[in-house]
Amino acid sequence: MTALLALANVDTYYGPIQALRGASLAIDAGGIVAVLGANGAGKTTLLKTVMGLLDDQPDKGSIDFDGASIVGAQTEEIARRGIAYVPEGREVFRELTVLENLQAGAFSRRDDTAADLARMFGYFPRLMERRDQSAGTLSGGEQQMLAIARALMSRPRLLMLDEPSLGLSPLLVQEIFAILRTINGDGVTIFLVEQNARMALSVADRALVMEHGRFVLDGSAAEIAADPDVQEFYLGIAGEESVKGYRRYRRKKRWR
Amino acid sequence: MLKKLGNIAALAASLWLPLSASAAELTGVTDTEIHIAQWGPQTGPAAPWGSVARGTGMLFQMINDAGGIHGRKIVYHMFDDQYNPAKTVAGVKELVEKEPGIFAIASGVGTSPGLAVKDYLMERGIPWVGPAAGSLHWITPPQKALFAVYPLYADEAKLLVRHLVEKEGKKKIAIFYASDEYGENGHRGAVAELQRLGLTPAIEVSVNQADRDLKSHLLKLKESGADAVLMWVNPTHAVITLKTAAALQFSPQWATSSTLSDVPLMQTITGGLWKNIIFASFSELPDADVPTVTKYRAAFPKYAQQGERWGVFFMAGIGFVEPMVEGLRRAGRNLTRESFIAAMESIRDYKGVMGAISYGPGQRQGQRAVFLARTDDTGTKVTQLTPWTEVK
Amino acid sequence: MEFLGALPQVMFSGIAAGAVYALLALAMVIIYRTTEVLNFAQGDMAMMTTYVALAMIVGSGLPLYAAVPLALAFAAGLGAFAEFACLRRAKEPSVLGLIIITLGIEMIVFGFASWKWGGEPRDMPIPLSPYDGITAGGVIMSYLELITIAVAALTIGALFLFLNRSKAGLAMRATQQNRAVARLMGIRVRRVEMFAWALAAVVGGIAGLLVGPATTVEPYMMWEPMMKGFAAAVLGGMTSLPGAALGGAIIGIVENLFGYYVSTAFKSVVPFAAILLMLTVKPSGLLARHYVKKV
Repeated sequence: MTALLALANVDTYYGPIQALRGASLAIDAGGIVAVLGANGAGKTTLLKTVMGLLDDQPDKGSIDFDGASIVGAQTEEIARRGIAYVPEGREVFRELTVLENLQAGAFSRRDDTAADLARMFGYFPRLMERRDQSAGTLSGGEQQMLAIARALMSRPRLLMLDEPSLGLSPLLVQEIFAILRTINGDGVTIFLVEQNARMALSVADRALVMEHGRFVLDGSAAEIAADPDVQEFYLGIAGEESVKGYRRYRRKKRWR
Repeated sequence: MLKKLGNIAALAASLWLPLSASAAELTGVTDTEIHIAQWGPQTGPAAPWGSVARGTGMLFQMINDAGGIHGRKIVYHMFDDQYNPAKTVAGVKELVEKEPGIFAIASGVGTSPGLAVKDYLMERGIPWVGPAAGSLHWITPPQKALFAVYPLYADEAKLLVRHLVEKEGKKKIAIFYASDEYGENGHRGAVAELQRLGLTPAIEVSVNQADRDLKSHLLKLKESGADAVLMWVNPTHAVITLKTAAALQFSPQWATSSTLSDVPLMQTITGGLWKNIIFASFSELPDADVPTVTKYRAAFPKYAQQGERWGVFFMAGIGFVEPMVEGLRRAGRNLTRESFIAAMESIRDYKGVMGAISYGPGQRQGQRAVFLARTDDTGTKVTQLTPWTEVK
Repeated sequence: MEFLGALPQVMFSGIAAGAVYALLALAMVIIYRTTEVLNFAQGDMAMMTTYVALAMIVGSGLPLYAAVPLALAFAAGLGAFAEFACLRRAKEPSVLGLIIITLGIEMIVFGFASWKWGGEPRDMPIPLSPYDGITAGGVIMSYLELITIAVAALTIGALFLFLNRSKAGLAMRATQQNRAVARLMGIRVRRVEMFAWALAAVVGGIAGLLVGPATTVEPYMMWEPMMKGFAAAVLGGMTSLPGAALGGAIIGIVENLFGYYVSTAFKSVVPFAAILLMLTVKPSGLLARHYVKKV
């Protein structure tokens, strides 16, 4: 069986700066895959490269979706092939109503979307209440819900999320991650990048760690969660000493 | 020997000194050529007047085909200034200051474009004959090198007002004029004549060149209760004026200047509204059966470019420049600006396609007479209302 | 008393003039909202459309009802072509660069029309006498003015329905707000932008076809209406369609009031004084909603 999404040796540059260095990854249909990494590790670049949002990138490497290359394709065509992307910071259409945002999400579809609308309102009842409000008036959490629902309206096979927890209260984060699991249960493969490693690892089936533009760890969520380096650097589980900087100095990540 | 030395010196000077020094020496006359320039709008709102410059071209071509003037052919430099004075200045300077220079300016369309280059030409003593605009500016004060042909707009306006009051029995005469030199000249003449007749204008309304919505203008004219309107505007504004007046059910007696005397054109572009219009004419009517007109009308099909029309402005382009040609002939083979000006001053009662033209020492307004004519109910037939008339 | 007696007539004249400005303002706003380009070629694209209609009516003898849709189809093609051939070619363009591109388009269109049809004004024949109209409450309304107002109102209404009710309209609004995210929705934004240009050219073309019979058809015919349309668009906030429509009506009415009651000579200055005033007092325009566009 071919992977749903497969990246091989992908290099991406921002001008002279190399953001991805030979990143390779294969995601099978069905699960939730999380990528962990610090700020600037290249997580967002990875998603943007997949979506073709960076002009003339990737510089090298191949990206296949469902067995066909999507390198060089227009973003809108990549979206139409079945990848939905929820960008960091939600990016809802602020002047459109909630309902119009959802309809915009279903733009590429020609069939009836009523059932999907109902499903979205099922996932996020609050959107139902606010369906005729303009999206700019929603709270941050509601906007995140709207962004996810909007992405799902295209009936994607792969849903990619960039930092869905960013700027949200812990309670909301939990709510959203719970719904992500439900969505995954309904058949959508999910690929998310997160700084909130604890939350990500709690829903993911598989996790990867990214540093300096390449993947350095790959395993089941449980394996990754058990990795001592991940524990120390991403989950903040300290050993005897409490001063992180000191620890960092003393201990080296073994993958470096 | 001395001449040879002079030539060498001139050559050296032209090599070493940039344009400015040599420009003063450019006369636009060579052994075989006389260089003459004209500007005229070929595009833009004043484009209908641009056929003047093309008419002049036909006259020069006819003269060249007949052997030129005293062994010299006329080289005609015409450019499109779009009735934009800035472009007129640039175009004239380029021609005057570039080898071999310009001997004289023939006609040149428009008051504002002409005014923009008047001082420049006069300072250099470049003769200018027959500006295609009836402005007082050409002759106040008289300039040595400037010979006006076009009768004064003010005179036209006076004659029209006099006719409206005395022959048509109109009592409330409104003045609708362009807010430029052309409009002001007509406006002033009309006001003066009304004053002489012991009347005041029903209303005076001016229109800006750029305006294309004339509803408020026409409403003012209508509300003034005018029974006749003197219209001193460009062709496009005349069209909008008549259309807007029609929409407001306002139908005074319209009277207008020689600049709108191209009846077939006005009839076409107004969509048939150019009916019962009284206008001043500075030239014979284009279909007149007088020899001075028929000889050009017969030659027209041979010389005119495709799509050209034998209209009043095309013909005026001939008429404004005929006195210049006469002056060049009288100046003889030894053509200098001095000899040309002296020759021009000797012209008396020259009759071409225009009214009679005379110059003399200090006398620079060549033509004073105009006549009035009127279009009929169908807008196609023109009747002459008065003979050639001088206002004073 | 007589002074104010003309007021209804002046107001009506203002609305008739404003209807045309509103259409041109809408055309500019459609393009500005979708592609952030100030299209200074809008007026001359409309002029070109009018010439095409005239050429079909006078040259080919087509009836008005056939020539108008064909001319508007031409307008759509011209708009789409301008976007495809000129605007899209700009690599990482600046706002100024884009404006200069539209000025270039304007010069090309103007030059072509001047070359093809000459500078002389022409009459646009319509099966309607300029004398015909109705009088209501002392206000004389010519059929042409009434048709102008009605066509403008219908166009504005149709545009509203289209933008707010149709899928393509939704795509346009989404593209305008966030081009990158619109692409994530599978919206083919380049087609949307091309379509916006085509749509704007049609709306502007309608203005041209209304100006033509009331004035003359000539290369300069749309300069003044276009500048006033631009003034109306700025007045309305550049991004607001109702604002543009309202701005057009206001410009038309105010300049006619000014022309009638104050001075005809300076009437043309009024719209630009209005822009200055608006930019000083409320730079966002009459109806623009404030939102910060995400980059």
